[in-house]
This record gives sequence, C-alpha cells and structure tokens, in this order.
Amino acid sequence: MADAPVALRDVTYAYGKGELARPVLRDVDISVGPGEIVLLTGPSGSGKTTLLTLIGALRAMQQGSAVVLGQELMGATERQRVALRRRIGFIFQQHNLLGFLTARQNVAMALELDGATGERARLARAGEILGAVGLGDRGESRPDQLSGGQRQRVAVARALAGAPGLILADEPTAALDRQTGGEVVRLLRGLAKGRGVPILMVTHDPRILDIADRIVAMEDGRILPSEGAAGAPRPLPPFRR
Amino acid sequence: MNVLARAPPAPPPPAHGALPWAGQPAGPAPPPPAAPSRAPSPLAALRLPLRLAWRQLRFEKARLFSAIAGVMFASVLVFMQLGFRSALFDSATALLAAFRADIFLMHPMTLVSFRPETMPRARASQALALPEVQAAVPVYLAQATWRSPENGSRRPIQIIGFDLEAGVMDFPGLAPLIERLKRPDSMAFDLRSRPEFGDIARLLHERGPFDAQVGNRHMEVVGLIEIGPSFGADGNVVMSELNFRRAVKERAASAIDLVAIRLLPGADPQAAKRRLAEALPGDVMVLTQPELVAWERRYWEDATPIGFIFMFGSLMGLVVGMVIVYQILFSDIASHLREYATLKAMGYSNGYLGRVVLSAALILAVLGFLPGFAASTLLYDVVGKGTFLPLAMDTERALGVFAMIFAMCAAAGLLAMRKLRDANPADMF
Ligand SMILES: Nc1ncnc2c1ncn2[C@@H]1O[C@H](COP(=O)(O)OP(=O)(O)OP(=O)(O)O)[C@@H](O)[C@H]1O
Ligand SMILES: [Mg+2]
Repeated sequence: MADAPVALRDVTYAYGKGELARPVLRDVDISVGPGEIVLLTGPSGSGKTTLLTLIGALRAMQQGSAVVLGQELMGATERQRVALRRRIGFIFQQHNLLGFLTARQNVAMALELDGATGERARLARAGEILGAVGLGDRGESRPDQLSGGQRQRVAVARALAGAPGLILADEPTAALDRQTGGEVVRLLRGLAKGRGVPILMVTHDPRILDIADRIVAMEDGRILPSEGAAGAPRPLPPFRR
Repeated sequence: MNVLARAPPAPPPPAHGALPWAGQPAGPAPPPPAAPSRAPSPLAALRLPLRLAWRQLRFEKARLFSAIAGVMFASVLVFMQLGFRSALFDSATALLAAFRADIFLMHPMTLVSFRPETMPRARASQALALPEVQAAVPVYLAQATWRSPENGSRRPIQIIGFDLEAGVMDFPGLAPLIERLKRPDSMAFDLRSRPEFGDIARLLHERGPFDAQVGNRHMEVVGLIEIGPSFGADGNVVMSELNFRRAVKERAASAIDLVAIRLLPGADPQAAKRRLAEALPGDVMVLTQPELVAWERRYWEDATPIGFIFMFGSLMGLVVGMVIVYQILFSDIASHLREYATLKAMGYSNGYLGRVVLSAALILAVLGFLPGFAASTLLYDVVGKGTFLPLAMDTERALGVFAMIFAMCAAAGLLAMRKLRDANPADMF
C-alpha cells in the first residue's frame, strides 16, 4: 500500500558490529493503514521494541526499506529523522512527563516546535485536549500531584496534541494496574479513531487486545503469518456504542 | 469491545461535539494531518528554550540557590581581585598622576620615578625653543629620611623640588602656599602621606608652622598639599628648587630628573611631542602624562608579581564558579535524562536542548552576578575605608566582570551540554 502511514519491507537489524553482530529483526514486512490500530505482541526479546524505535526514527536503519508518513528512513539524515519525529506521537511505558511543568505545559511542549501557533493558542489547545482525556480540571497540576493513570493520560494527551500522523506506543499500560491500563488505552483508541490517527502499539496485556483492528505477532525477529490474509486489515469495527 | 471507557452517557452527537477536532465517526477515517509544521521564528527559538530552562531551574529552589551562590561568590572574588589590583597600580603611580603638565621629558634609562636617572638641566631651556612650549620646568626628585615630629621614628620620604611660580606642577593646595614656600628651609607636606610620618595636619593646626627634620636638615612645614602615597614613596614633601638644593646637598643643580612642559593653549600635544623628540638629543625621552603614568605602571607590573597574583586570584574565582555551575547543570541533565530523551523523541533537536542548557547557564550568570555586584560595591566601600586603597566600582570594570562571569557560565554550559548526548531517545521504550 503506497500511501500507508507505515510500510516496511525486508527490514533487517542487528545490534553489535562484525563478529559480534546479533540479528534482532529479520526480513520484517509490516504495514499500518490509515486510521488502523495495530497491536504488536510476542515473547520478550522478540524485537518488538527495536522495530518500534526504527519506525519512530529513533534509531538508524541498517537494511531494507521503511516508509513512514511518506519519509523513507533508509539512509535518512538526522535532520530528516528529527523532522519526522515531530509528526509522530510517542507514548512510553513510563509517562516521562517533565516534572517541573504542569500537565498543561507538558502537553503544550508537543506544540512548541510548531511556529504557526502562538503561546495562547498552544495553551488553549493543550487545555482542550486535556479535557478530552478527562483531565480538564487538572491542567495546573504537576505530574507528582497526579495518579499513575492520570499521568499516563497526560502522556496520551501530549502524544495527540501535536496532531500526529501516527502514534507509537510501547507497553503503555505496563506501569498501570489492569483497570487503569484498560481505561487509558480505550481512551487513546477513541481519540485516535476520532481523528483518524493510526496506532502501532506493543503490548503484552491480553486484556487490551480487543482494541485492535489487527494483531501482529512476532517471534525471534520475524513476523508470524497472521490468521487472516496478510496485509489486508480487517474492516474497521465501530468504536462507539 | 470498543467501549470508550470515559464515554459520557449523553447520545453520540453532543458527545462528539465535546471533541471539536474529532473527525466524523462514520465513513472512512479522515486523512492524517499532512502539512509539516512551520519552523518557529528565530526569536521564539531563543525565547522558548530560555523559558524552559528558567522553569526547570525555578523548580528546584535549593539547587538554584546554591548555583546562584556559586556564581555570586565568583563575581565577588573577581571584583575584589581586580579592585585590589587596580587600586594598587593606581596608588603606585599616584605621584606622577598628581603632576599637572602636558608633556614630560625623562631620561630613557629611568625605570621608575623613585630611582630616576638624571639629565642635563639644559634640556629644559632647549625645549623652550619650540614656539608652542609655554613653560618648561625642571623637576628634582629625591628620597630623604623624615623624622616623625611625634615620636622621632625615621622613614624615607619623597622630596619634590621645582620652580613653584612656573605654575606647571599645580598640586591641590599648592597655590596659596607659594609665597611661604619661597622662604628658606620651608616645605609643604602631603596630607595623604601614610600616618606613620606623624599627624602633621593636627600638629600644623595646633602649633602653626613648625620645624621637622628632613635629611639632616631642619625645615619648616608651612602647609599641606595633596598627592597621595605610591609604591615608591609612602609620603611626599614639596619645596622650591632652592630649598631642594639645601635639603639634598649632594645633588648638582645641573642634574635634573624630569622636565614638566606646559604647552600654549590650543597646541596639539602629539605634534608637540614629535617635534620635541626630534629637536632634543637622545638622552631624553618625551612622554605625555598618560604615557608617563603608563611607563611607571609597567614597571610595577613587570618588576613585581602583583599583576600575576591578582590575575591568578581572579582566574581561581572563575574556575571555582565554573565548576559549581557545571556541577549544577550536569546533575540537572543527568537526573532528567529520561525527560531530555523524551523531548528528543518528540522531535526536539540536539541544538534546541543545547540552547536550553546554555540558557540555564546564562540565567545563572545574570542571577549570580547581580547580587555579586551589589555585595562587591558594598565591600569596596568597607574595605577601601579600612585600607586607604582607592577602591571604587566603575562601569567598565562591572561590564568586564560581567563578561567574564558570562563566559564562565557559558563554558560550564558548553561542557555540561556534552551530557545531553547520553539522552538517547531509542532507549526510551
Ligand atoms: N541497545 C541494545 N543493544 C544490544 N542489544 C539489544 C539492545 N536493545 C535490545 N537488544 C536485544 O535485542 C533483542 C530484542 O530486544 P527488544 O527490546 O526489541 O525486544 P522486545 O520484543 O521489545 O522485548 P520485551 O517484550 O521484553 O520488551 C533482545 O535480545 C535484546 O537483548
Ligand atoms: Mg520491549
């Protein structure tokens, strides 16, 4: 699919050099369609995180081709990679909010790289999106005044604030209890679907597999053949009652 | 499935309206926003990192205050060192700086005024040959022993003898004394001489003119003038040429130490200086007054470790300040590596984060310098009064020290910035 937000072909990656090189990804093909929510699962050490950092332009490619939001990452410069990252929303295992900023300022950090919006517009927009994650009244709280689930919801708001073309999340529920984790990913799903933003999420959490449009399993650096036709996403299910 | 956990109980349309940017839930998903964002304006590219740095510094008050204290300490140290240095050099050349003339002639071998090389008195009259020279006054300099009229202790004192009526060397307080100084064996005492010479001002006030011993001669102190002690002379007395010869018998009248020249009003000192240098033989050097002072000052800078000592002291202050600022910035980065890495993952460039660190350094420079400046101004006043050193804050030095503190903090920031490389966004997942 040419206009897929994520399209990887034959991506191979190894840590270490020469004799010590240890292949972690082998001939990985994966694509994420517009607005699609793809969950990536697999045993520990199978290379999920590595794959995500390659797609997120956080790591330089070694072999194969990866087109993310129209940018070919094989041979991309540091500058191109930094520019691409601005168009991707990241959600990490930990919230990684800046402790010295309020929730609203943290969300606004995702907008400060965009010269088109002024300070007032940024804060208003941050406030709006905090409202959308149910934290409209906690905008002036610092992260240490929020609960774990609330922090992760601020992180979701931050990932979405910059109007990203893609969201990458690596075990965003790992630091949360099941109940809270479920709430956060469903919230994320609702917001992403509403805006048509595709999500690629790594997870071990069986309780959240139901949010996916498609589940991709990895093992030992390879994508396992899926039950359905490979590459063809299932039709989008309705996401609202 | 597909339960929006926090979906409001209201029916879909209003609920949807609560998310103004949300696309239509039905039909194909709207395309992702494609247009890459505009780059921030250059001003915002400096202002936003500065604001971020300030918010981070402000958050940890204890760290901020220790950093400010460090920079303040460095500022005070540098201010004091530079203040002492210039005060000592200023006082080293106080005698020559007190002379009032446009141009001076001096023997080229004279290194320092208290140990002059003599030159022929004829040079003064030769200088008069130039039309723009209004007056050329021979000056005699010598050191002699002064016996304190209070307790009899003896100390060397500087004697300055010249034609008082020529009106060339016009020390403050000299003019009204000229008539009395014409009397044999009379002299004027420098009231800013060090106190060890005796409290001459009080004695003069109590007794009127009184006898004091200079060299082996008794001479009368008839009044007070103002010059100030210098390195070569703790005190000064001024007398007429004739009295000088009486006090310093071994000196031939034809051997003089300095010629002070006054030019006609409107004459160009530089041009006159060049013409004098051409007209006079090689045993004299022609100097303007600032050059004469600089000559003397250079002697003290080269011949003594004073300059080095104070430069070393200033440098130590800056190094200590830099280490403190570096430590603070470094630990700030080290303890926020995850946050910095997150910012990198969000698309913040290394350059942007570097600007954040540099901004923090420069904020510390300003916040530490201002109280340091205030404290130093106060200390100058207190210490200056206690040591008789001319310590005073001036704009030039304030700006100079600020530049040094600024550079110190910038260097610390640049060093600390290297730690940013450890913030690797790929390690964040
Ligand atoms: N920075 C690194 N340097 C060297 N080897 C690494 C590095 N990061 C990961 N690896 C190795 O690469 C392999 C894949 O790691 P990766 O983190 O991608 O697995 P994962 O599927 O995300 O596992 P988990 O589910 O435990 O997070 C592992 O064997 C790991 O030891
Ligand atoms: Mg992982």
